Amino acid sequence: MFEFFFKYSLPDYARSDLVFTAEWPVWLLLLIATVAVAGLSVVLWRHRGGATTGQLLSVWTLQLVMLVLVAVLLLQPALKTEQLKPGENTVALVVDNSGSMAYGEGPRRFDVALESLAAAISSGSTGLTAQRYTISDVAEPVETFISTEPDGTSTSIADSLIDIIDSARSQSLAAVILASDGIDTAGGISASQLADVAAFGVPIHTIGVGRDRIPEDLELTQLVTPTKALPGSTVTARIAIRHDREGEARVRVYDGDELLATEAVQLAANTTTTTAKVNLDLRDAGYHRLQFSVDGVDTEPELRNNVRSTLVKVEEQQFRVLYFEGEPRWEYKFMRRAMDPDGDIRLVSLLRVSPNKFYRQGLESAEQLEAGFPATRDELFAYDALIIGSVEAASLSDQQQQVIGDFVSERGGSLLMLAGPNGLGNGGWGQSAIADLLPSRLPPSSVDSFVRTKAAVQLTPQGADTEMLRLAATVEENRTAWASLPEVADYQATGNMKPAAMTLLNVVTETGSQPLLITQPYGRGHVYVLASGGTWRWQMSSPLEDQSHETFWRQFMRALVASAPQGISLTADSSQGATEVQLRAEFRDDAFRPVDGIRVSAVVSHEGGDSYTLDLLPSQDDAAVHVADAPLSETGTWYVEAIAEHDGAAIHVARTSVYSESEQAEYFNIRRNSALLRRLSDATGGQYFEPADLGALPDLLRYSNAGITEQILRPVWDAPVLFLLLFVVKFGEWLLRRRWRTI
Amino acid sequence: MTVSQRKLPMPEFIRKIRIPAIVVLLVAATVSMGQSDDGLGPISRSAARESEGEFHFVRLAYSSNRFASQGGRRAAWQTDWPDAEQHFLKGVNRLTTVEAAENGRVLIPLDADIFDYPWIYAVEVGHWYLNHQEATRMRDYLLRGGFLMVDDFHGTWEWTSFKASMDKVFPDRPIVDIPQDDEAFHVLYDLDHRIQIPSRMFIYSGQTWERDGVTPHWRGIYDDEGRLMVAINFNMDIGDAWEHADWPDYPENMTALAYRFGINYLIYAMTH
Repeated sequence: MFEFFFKYSLPDYARSDLVFTAEWPVWLLLLIATVAVAGLSVVLWRHRGGATTGQLLSVWTLQLVMLVLVAVLLLQPALKTEQLKPGENTVALVVDNSGSMAYGEGPRRFDVALESLAAAISSGSTGLTAQRYTISDVAEPVETFISTEPDGTSTSIADSLIDIIDSARSQSLAAVILASDGIDTAGGISASQLADVAAFGVPIHTIGVGRDRIPEDLELTQLVTPTKALPGSTVTARIAIRHDREGEARVRVYDGDELLATEAVQLAANTTTTTAKVNLDLRDAGYHRLQFSVDGVDTEPELRNNVRSTLVKVEEQQFRVLYFEGEPRWEYKFMRRAMDPDGDIRLVSLLRVSPNKFYRQGLESAEQLEAGFPATRDELFAYDALIIGSVEAASLSDQQQQVIGDFVSERGGSLLMLAGPNGLGNGGWGQSAIADLLPSRLPPSSVDSFVRTKAAVQLTPQGADTEMLRLAATVEENRTAWASLPEVADYQATGNMKPAAMTLLNVVTETGSQPLLITQPYGRGHVYVLASGGTWRWQMSSPLEDQSHETFWRQFMRALVASAPQGISLTADSSQGATEVQLRAEFRDDAFRPVDGIRVSAVVSHEGGDSYTLDLLPSQDDAAVHVADAPLSETGTWYVEAIAEHDGAAIHVARTSVYSESEQAEYFNIRRNSALLRRLSDATGGQYFEPADLGALPDLLRYSNAGITEQILRPVWDAPVLFLLLFVVKFGEWLLRRRWRTI
Repeated sequence: MTVSQRKLPMPEFIRKIRIPAIVVLLVAATVSMGQSDDGLGPISRSAARESEGEFHFVRLAYSSNRFASQGGRRAAWQTDWPDAEQHFLKGVNRLTTVEAAENGRVLIPLDADIFDYPWIYAVEVGHWYLNHQEATRMRDYLLRGGFLMVDDFHGTWEWTSFKASMDKVFPDRPIVDIPQDDEAFHVLYDLDHRIQIPSRMFIYSGQTWERDGVTPHWRGIYDDEGRLMVAINFNMDIGDAWEHADWPDYPENMTALAYRFGINYLIYAMTH
C-alpha cells in the first residue's frame, strides 16, 4: 500500500535522503512564492462577497496548500540512495559445518543452511560475488559447498568470522551471511570478541537453523566437582540437566566400573534447566575418573550428551586448625575427640587452664605456640582455620587481633567464633579489632548474652543446601537427622545479622528461634559464628553408634580448611567440552605475600604421552598469580606442572590435572542458540533470519554500507500521493464554495 | 425440691488420732520418696537442677553391696558428702579457669541426666554394687566420653569387691597403673612426687594406710584411643583430704596434693 502511494517502499525511504533536483535559484523561488501568496490574497479579498472571515481564511488556506503542492512538483523531489556498486563487491556465504549441524528433524540442519544460503544469493544479491566459507574450529574458504559435510569437532564462531572478514576485506566485502545453529563450543562470544567483529563495519546477517527446544532430548549440560578431595571425605558434585519437558531423570555416577551413586532428579515444567547435587564418598587415594550419566529415553536424538566425566584427585593433605580457648569445657574436649581420628586435619589447641598456664595439644613440635597465641603473620598464616572459643578479646593484643584480620582477609583463612561465658558478645569481641569481620553485630559485653539452657537446633533452608551440614545421604534423611539431634547445652545471642551474612542453623528457644550458625565471606576468607558451646550433648546424649557429632565437626572443619587457599597452587579452569583451559598458578611465601622475581612455565602432558610447554604471564589483578590458556586437543587426562623459577633455578612447583572431553564438545548444547546469532547480527548492523523467512535479505544486501557503493537518484515527483493530494485540496475547496455560495 | 444433708458422725478414736496420723503419714511419705526408688536416701534428686556452671561435681549414688555397713550409718556413696565437693569446687574455681557450679549433684547410674555430666565421682567403691543394667549404663557413659574418678577404698578385700562390679562395666579392658608420663599427671600440675593421701584417722593413728592397703596405687582404664576413662585411686582417700581441708590438724601438704589430683583429673577429663 505504501509503495503504491509513494512509489517506493518504506525501507527505501528509510535508507535514502529526500532531495530536490530542480536547480532553481533561491531568490527566484522566494519571489514567486511572495507574488503567489500576495496575488492569491488580493484576488480572494476582492471577490469576498458576503463571506465571513472564517470562510475566507479556509478557502485561502486550501489554495495556499495547492500552491505549495505545485511548488513541490516543480522542484522535482527525488530519493538519494547509497547502494552497492554492481560487480565490484563480494558477499561471504558462511556455513557452519560443525558436528552439531548434522542434527535435524527430517533434513539436517546443515542441508537447511545450504538451501537458505542458496536462496539468499539467488533471489536478490545480483551483482555481488559470492565467496564461500565453512566454519567449525577454524574458517576455511571453499569453492563450493557440494562436498562439505558437518564433521567439525568444535565451533569457534567469533574467531572464525574475524578470520573471514579480515581475509576478505581486500575484495570489498559488503556483507556476511552466516547459516548456523549458533552452538559455539569455545564458550560463546565474549563482549570483546563481539566488539572486534563489529569493528570491521561489515554487517553479518545470520540464519538460525535447528530448534530452540528439543523435548525429546535430555542433556547433562554441566558437571562441577572439586578437583581435589581428602581420603574418606564426601564430595558434592553439582549437575545441571537441560530438558524441555517435565518428568524424572535418574543420574548414575561411576567410579571406573563401580557404580558409586544414583540420584533421582525431578525435572520441573516451568524451567528448562534443573540443577541437583550428588554426594559421593571417595575413600581411596589416587585419581578417580567419575562418569556421570543421565538415563536416556528412546527417542533421544543424541545420547552422548547424557554423559560427562571429570577427574578428582584424592590425596592426603595435612591441614592445620588453631583452636584458642579460654577455659576448659566440654565442647573443647568433645571437639578434639571428634577430630582425633581425622588424619588430614591437625587440631592444634591453646587452652588457658589456669590464670597462669596454657595447655597445648596437637602440637607438631615442642616449640609450637610456646610463646602463646601467634603475634606474626608467618606464625598464624601457617594455619588454614582459626577457632576462638570462650575467651575475652582483651586477652589478645591489638597486633594479634590485626593479624587475625589479615589472616581472614589476605590469607583467606576461615575464622570460627564459638559461644561461651567469655565468648562472642560477652568477651567483648563486638568492640574488638575484628568486629568488622564477623557476620553479626554482637551484643555489648555489658549484656550477658550467654544462656545455659538446653535448646533444639533447626536446619535452615540455606543450611540444608550446605554440604558441611550433611549428616545423611538424602535431603529428607538429612532433615530428619538434624531434627532428631539432642538439644545443645547452651546458646548465645548473636545480635543483628549483617547484610552479607547467611544463617545455616537456628536454635529454638523459649522466645522463638534465633541464629545458631551464621557465616559471611570477608576478603579472601570466611567467618563463622557458632553461637553454642554445647554441641557436645550430641555425643553424650546419643547412642554410642551415632556418629552425628563426629560427622558434624569433621565436615565443618573440612569446610573451614577447604575454602582456605594454599600459598602455592595451580588450577585449570574449563567448561566441559572446551578445547582449552585457563591455567592459574599462585605462588606466595609463608606470609602469603607474592614471591617476587619469578618466571613461571607449565608442562602440559596428555595421558597418552604428548606434552608441550608454555609460559604463564603475570596477572594484572594479583602479583602472585600467573595465567595462560592451555589448549587440550585430545580427550583424556591431562597433567599440568607449573614451575616457578628464580635466577634460572626452580624454586616452587605446583601440580594439577584435568579431564578433557574436547572431542565430545559438539554433542552438547545441541539446541539452537538463536540468541547468540541475534546478538551477532545486532552488534554488526545485520539482521537475524529464520530459514523460512528470508524475503527481506536481498534488499539488505543491496543497500549495504560496507563495500564499494554508488549514489542513485530516484524521482518521486510523480508519486501518486502528490496528485491525490492536489485533487483532494481542489475538490474540497469546490465543495466549500458550493455550500457557502458566497465567494 | 429440697435435699437435706446430714453430717455423719466421725468415730471417736479416729477423731483423737487424726492429727498425729497425718503427721506420721507425711513423714513416712517423705522418707519413702527419698529412699525407695532412686537410692538417694534423704537427698532430693531434683534439688539442684539449675545449670549455673560448665562443670558440675556429680557424685554417683550407687547401691551398696551386701558387705557394706548397715544400721543407721549413711550409705557408702555418701561418704564425705557434701563437704568434700564443696571444698573441692571452691578450689577448682580459685585455681583454674574452669567455670564450676558451686554445689555438687548426686545421680544414680540409671538416671538419664547422667549423660549431661561427663565427669562423675564415686567414693568407697569397695562397697559398691552395680547390677547388669547399671554396669551397661556406666560402660555406655564412659565410652561416649564420660569420666569416672573412684576413690577411698583400701586393701585386698575392697579391691576385689570394686573389681567385681568394674568387670561388669568393662569385662575386656584391663586395669593398669597410670604411667608416670600420662597427661593425667601433668595436664596442669606435674604430679611426679606422689604420696599416699590418708583419711582423717591418720591424725589419731599416725597410720596412712587402712586394712592391708599399705601401698597407694594410681590405676586406670583406658579406651581404644589411649584416653583415660576411669581414674582409680586405690589405697588412698582423696575425698577425706578435700573434706577436711579446713581441719587444722589435717596435713596441709596432703590436702594440697589431693586438690591437685582432683584438678588434674578434671582438666584431663575436659581435654581428652
